[in-house]
Amino acid sequence: MITGRVTIINSSADYYRIKRPTIVVAIKTHPDIVLAIKYVQAIVTELNNKLCHAAIIAREYDIPIVMGVEGVTKEFKTGDKVTVDIKRKMIWKTW
Amino acid sequence: MEDLVIELFSCTYRMDLAGIKKYLEQLWREYQVIINGKPNWKQINRARAILYFIGHIYPEWIAVQSLERRVRFIKPSITLDLLLIAVDRNDKKVMKKYQRSEVFQKLVQYYKIVKNIKNRVVNGTYLDEATFNKRYKKLQPKDYY
Repeated sequence: MITGRVTIINSSADYYRIKRPTIVVAIKTHPDIVLAIKYVQAIVTELNNKLCHAAIIAREYDIPIVMGVEGVTKEFKTGDKVTVDIKRKMIWKTW
Repeated sequence: MEDLVIELFSCTYRMDLAGIKKYLEQLWREYQVIINGKPNWKQINRARAILYFIGHIYPEWIAVQSLERRVRFIKPSITLDLLLIAVDRNDKKVMKKYQRSEVFQKLVQYYKIVKNIKNRVVNGTYLDEATFNKRYKKLQPKDYY
């Protein structure tokens, strides 16, 4: 399980604002994620596919990923503290 | 595009890697010619179809299914997840273990071909989506629905 602060990705510009460890939450990822990759603790996406960009990036950089979390970009906001359970594919707010 | 797609499917059924690469590249080139030229509404929608096909339908549906169907023929058995991880992390141990498996080697090459197209970044976006979006928006009729 990974606990950290959420960064919601709405556009590629959001990756440039990442300056500390974070859990990236997005519908799908963008090439610019590699600019912030050293800060990415985990990736959570709404899309779910073994060959989507997020899955490839996660494998290449050995980053934990949970895919197919419907509505996750609306459920959380940037700065929320969350826990991601990779095995059970769950994410929840941590206080 | 229609013939290229049919040929691509045919090559995929046969796992003809050279053919798969050839037709994917042809689709990519046609897409580039359209978006970098002076397309009309019909042409830009052709580019849209190609973009959707080579960026989503082919890699995320056709290729995944092709890999899933064939990965079970690899001996000793390996899951698709482990195969993809081995490729993406360049896991030499796994690669060595399967170096004599023709099916494994072929699927690895196939995945690399598909990934090469899928992950192509031009002008800061995958498959030059930024240029495509700009063109598409300009040409979109006001009464488009």
